[in-house]
Amino acid sequence: MELRLKNKLRENIISITISLILTLFITSVIILLIGKNPFDIFGIIISEVFGSGYGLGQALFKATPLIITGSALAICFHASLFNIGAEGQLNLGAFVMSLAAFYFSALPAYLLFPVVIILGFAVSAFWGYIPAIIKIKKGVSEVITTIMMNFIAMALINFLLIEFFAVKSTVRTEKIADWIMIPKLSAYFQFFQGSSVNLTFFIALALAFAVYFMLYKTKFGYYIKAVGFNETAAKYIGIKNNRIMLLSFLIGSGLTSLVGLNFVLGYKGYYEFGFSNNLGFTAIAVALLAKNNPIGIIFTSLLFGMLDYGGLTVNTVIPKEIMFVVQAVVILSILSVDKIVNNYFQSKD
Amino acid sequence: MNSVELINISKHFGSLMANDGINLKVRDNSVHCIIGENGAGKSTLMKILFGIYRPDSGEIRVNGIPAHFRSAHDAIKLKIGMLHQHFMLVEDFSVIENVILGNELSKGITLDFDKSRQAITGLIEKYNLSLNPDSKVSDLNVSEKQKTELLKLLYRQSEIIIFDEPTAVLSPVEVGEFFKIITKFRDEGKTIIVITHKLKEVREIADDVTVLRRGKSVYSVNRESLDIDVLAKEIVGELEPATALQKINMGNNDIAVEIENIVLDKGGVRKLDGLNMKLRKGEVYGVCGVEGNGQGEIADLIFGLEKYSSGKFITFSDLISLIPDDRIEKGMIKEFSVGENVILKNKNINIISKNLIAKTTSEIVSKYDIRLSDYNAPLQSLSGGNQQKVIFAREIELDNDILVFAHPTRGVDINASAFIHSVIISERNKGKTVLLISSDLDEIFFLADRIGVLYKGKIVREFSSNELSSKSEEDVDVLLEKIGKLMIGITVEE
Repeated sequence: MELRLKNKLRENIISITISLILTLFITSVIILLIGKNPFDIFGIIISEVFGSGYGLGQALFKATPLIITGSALAICFHASLFNIGAEGQLNLGAFVMSLAAFYFSALPAYLLFPVVIILGFAVSAFWGYIPAIIKIKKGVSEVITTIMMNFIAMALINFLLIEFFAVKSTVRTEKIADWIMIPKLSAYFQFFQGSSVNLTFFIALALAFAVYFMLYKTKFGYYIKAVGFNETAAKYIGIKNNRIMLLSFLIGSGLTSLVGLNFVLGYKGYYEFGFSNNLGFTAIAVALLAKNNPIGIIFTSLLFGMLDYGGLTVNTVIPKEIMFVVQAVVILSILSVDKIVNNYFQSKD
Repeated sequence: MNSVELINISKHFGSLMANDGINLKVRDNSVHCIIGENGAGKSTLMKILFGIYRPDSGEIRVNGIPAHFRSAHDAIKLKIGMLHQHFMLVEDFSVIENVILGNELSKGITLDFDKSRQAITGLIEKYNLSLNPDSKVSDLNVSEKQKTELLKLLYRQSEIIIFDEPTAVLSPVEVGEFFKIITKFRDEGKTIIVITHKLKEVREIADDVTVLRRGKSVYSVNRESLDIDVLAKEIVGELEPATALQKINMGNNDIAVEIENIVLDKGGVRKLDGLNMKLRKGEVYGVCGVEGNGQGEIADLIFGLEKYSSGKFITFSDLISLIPDDRIEKGMIKEFSVGENVILKNKNINIISKNLIAKTTSEIVSKYDIRLSDYNAPLQSLSGGNQQKVIFAREIELDNDILVFAHPTRGVDINASAFIHSVIISERNKGKTVLLISSDLDEIFFLADRIGVLYKGKIVREFSSNELSSKSEEDVDVLLEKIGKLMIGITVEE
């Protein structure tokens, strides 16, 4: 009975190893074409990321929002709702969080944090509610509506910043009070000295585990998956499909707002336009690579976090954009190798 | 001369020997039935003959010449055709487009539709298929879709045609038509192989029969020496002790569901048109009719999935179990395991642990004799009969007051059918309200206390238990004929 699971694990490990080797190889070729020595480049990345607490901390810092957004999106994806709107949802959430933390700073901490989180969540969730309700009532594909909602969100934030909230001649909000800031890990571990990684990293881990529990261990999670697999069957099983779709969309988009904890409350102290840098889209890849399993998402996020920070460390030698190429190659090779490995084992059985 | 010879064919999947040294000889120009229970290896064997699977060992000979199939393509080249249980049609294409797909005639760089149309209308007329070649496939009913698949085979001039349980989706009238077509094929010189598990069909059409049991070919016989009782024994191996339960009248036959003058439209089509029905506790109400006359809508209405535009619907309980007509599409989440599918409907469970799944699975598996090798395996990897048992078990275990069964034994083997029938009767005896929707008249006759004949969305005639009970065989035949006529809309003189 456990055999199948073990085989599955073995398959996954084999396929990931092969794809990483493949990625290394392809990246090496690209670096060679640029005229650099790939071993030098990899050497720098490895020593920078793993050689110091700072480097490791930065990689964790980059991974944190990916874990949050990836786990949030996994909820939607399990319901077969292809939410491409995380970018807009998380920006609005983080933006509102920064405003709430600034304007309600008179509140005591035990009230302030819930208010900040709830408001951020509510706004992000609302941004998911619109495409969800259009899909449920009118059957319009959420792919199109969520993409459009991204544009609207960014334009709206831009407008609100310039008209009302931005600090003069910047694209950021006012800085929040220091006491509201989420402590950096370096406050507890000397090791991470200088790095921006903060307690949000643990919140992200907890979130991933919570989402995992919800999706794989609760009835609600099974309902979400049932709707995702087969809406007709779910209906005949007695599941209220529309309710499940709406809830997964609301929870999924709402949770993306938590990236605001990492950036606004944990790092800068304000919302800055463009902070997300396509986070909402990278998170889609992170989630899909992990087959929408939140525990897997922790690992794929860490990988992407390392690549992200690693790219910065070699920026002086090669363009940092090369790391985007690496990320894309990782995705392509994992997806294709996975298929090949799967087929191989299936034909062997 | 044999069209097809399979010699000592073996094929395993994991630890399961699906085919274990099977021998089969199909004479030229004959109808050869392959009969056996679910999981006996019929479909596997045919997929080997059609080149979809490769055998582990053994030899295939077509028209006496050894054949090595690397894919179905090789089989098609030898004029072997297969009509699968599940249709492989492009829903958005017309009949013609589906038929020529892959074998298009061209005129320069464009398709020569006129020539194709000629050929196809020719075939439709020749075999009396009554099919409009320009209909979109998504608008066709099941029987017409099957005819479209058949046209594909004819268009490719298949000489050896394999049918995988072709009648499972057809109504009695359609089955009759279908057999006529098969016979015509045979008379024309084609060789027909039919997979089935219905004895009645074997008796009607087979020239030769081969019985498969647990992966082995155990018995072969030709029409002249065919004895149905012997055949039945060979199929099952050991007949399980008959569990023919007696219906017991509980006395308390209160009305449980009242349906009065219900009108229901779906997609602009009137599906129920003044439906009247009363379901009682401790009673099986059988609905028979040709598929598509509102059966699905009745089930959906009672289960609360459909809104009606006028009429009255009263039910005394909303604890309702439904076994839908299309198990794979409606009854289960095929990617979930057995246990997960069962737990999904349990209202009292909110947290689902591995232990709970294992416990639920082992209870169901032992109580309902479900055969599976791996508790975690998705339900879709089980055989059709076992899938049906899982869904059946889940619904019965809920212990709901009202049970709606749509075609409960469709695609299910003899032993499992008998088991399902006995459970239905025992639930009835417990005082449950049972609605049985079936196109199998024998089943309805065996189980139902009252029968309603459904035609165009309403019950055109209801037969009371008095009319049905203790009749002589001739009377039953008369009754059957009457019901058969009512089902296709012929008014019967009383």
